[in-house]
Amino acid sequence: MRLLTHNALRNNAAAAKGKGFPLRITATEVEVKDSCPFDEHRLVFVEGLLSTLDWSALIEAASQLGIPTLPPVLTEDLAEDPEFLEALHHVLMNVHLIQGILTCPATGREFPVRDGIPNMVLEEEDCEHVRY
Amino acid sequence: MSRPELTGHASLFYNEKEARKYDSSSRMIGVQREITERAVELLRLDDSKPSLVLDIGCGSGLSGQVLEERGHVWLGCDVSRDMLTVAKEHEEDTKVLQSTGDLMHHDMGSGLPFRPATFDACISISALQWLCYSNSAAQNPRKRLTRFFSSLYTVLKRGGRAVLQFYPETAEQAVLISETATKVGFAGGVVVDYPNSAKAKKHYLVLSFDRSLAPRRGALGTAEQDQKQQHVTVGEALGSNKGKKQPPRKKKGIKTKEWILHKKDAQRTKGKDVRPDTKYTARRRRGKF
Ligand SMILES: C[S@@+](CC[C@H](N)C(=O)[O-])C[C@H]1O[C@@H](n2cnc3c(N)ncnc32)[C@H](O)[C@@H]1O
Repeated sequence: MRLLTHNALRNNAAAAKGKGFPLRITATEVEVKDSCPFDEHRLVFVEGLLSTLDWSALIEAASQLGIPTLPPVLTEDLAEDPEFLEALHHVLMNVHLIQGILTCPATGREFPVRDGIPNMVLEEEDCEHVRY
Repeated sequence: MSRPELTGHASLFYNEKEARKYDSSSRMIGVQREITERAVELLRLDDSKPSLVLDIGCGSGLSGQVLEERGHVWLGCDVSRDMLTVAKEHEEDTKVLQSTGDLMHHDMGSGLPFRPATFDACISISALQWLCYSNSAAQNPRKRLTRFFSSLYTVLKRGGRAVLQFYPETAEQAVLISETATKVGFAGGVVVDYPNSAKAKKHYLVLSFDRSLAPRRGALGTAEQDQKQQHVTVGEALGSNKGKKQPPRKKKGIKTKEWILHKKDAQRTKGKDVRPDTKYTARRRRGKF
């Protein structure tokens, strides 16, 4: 699971009452691999992401995976700096959580990650009364 | 052909054996690719600007592959862990170990687990019909469809589109699916490719936020230039017409003068007693007082 995916994941079970974000990561295996090389196309992609990323969730998640190097705020200067965007792309796309646990901050429910795939399956009664 | 949806839960049907069989059938690969290419065309993604696309019921990643080739980043969700395992192996197989895809184990019927306005677009290929069946007493298809579509409405960026190809078992299922989508606020409708071929016929639910767009024109915009395929839109026109019952579309083309003359001719050749054609033929009758 990429950090890009983690930044989007939210526990939408009824009990979380809309507060199931960000999921806390307990990592047992992390892999950094150049699975998505950077190029001009990718630059356009990260630029497009800037407005939707939750920055503080990303910083937290990255440090939970052992990457404490992200700047605390996303300034406008940074948003236009291609070198920074390349580094950001690397963090979002090339850092993979292989084994671990995602914990909901609202309910404490744990979602296991096995072989890089998070299991977000909910039982019927857990999502019965969810309102979107 | 019996329907796998009737045999129980998708994760039981798409077990390890079935997942491998599915993924190694070259016929299957070809069909899924063709459908996905059509769905991506209906999505109208700008290939010069890579998008973040959600692939629902991604299976072994055949549909994701098409997105990948066009440079988009995708997140695949599937309820079958065995299908996901095969998808994962693909990723590892490619010698360069490159992929823009990521995977998640999840049941779309329980609502999508994402923050609002996250994805630029969504596709789903040959999976949605599974929501029309319940696999346990607790599962209610209507509720699961509603939960799925309302969560999809939330997690798509405004201006985003979703194209979901599905195999309805009955006309009622197609209506149930498209009605549920419009009830939660989506604009759009169903595009049917090859409507006259039982085998090749494909339903695409095309959803957007643009209620000012006439769905028929919007959905068929690309189709008109395409002479090979034939398209029909079913389901209600959306948005401004919401609530108002529309007459079935068929009525428009039917009962024209030509049609009636043709019918009468056909009856005559069968030797039936048919009234002569006059200038009054096919004229509308005035209403009674
Ligand atoms: C015919 S396969 C299509 C796979 C892939 N989209 C492709 O084009 O090759 C249908 C997939 O839908 C998945 N599916 C069925 N019900 C589902 C559900 N409720 N949530 C998520 N995926 C589901 C199945 O596990 C299966 O992998």
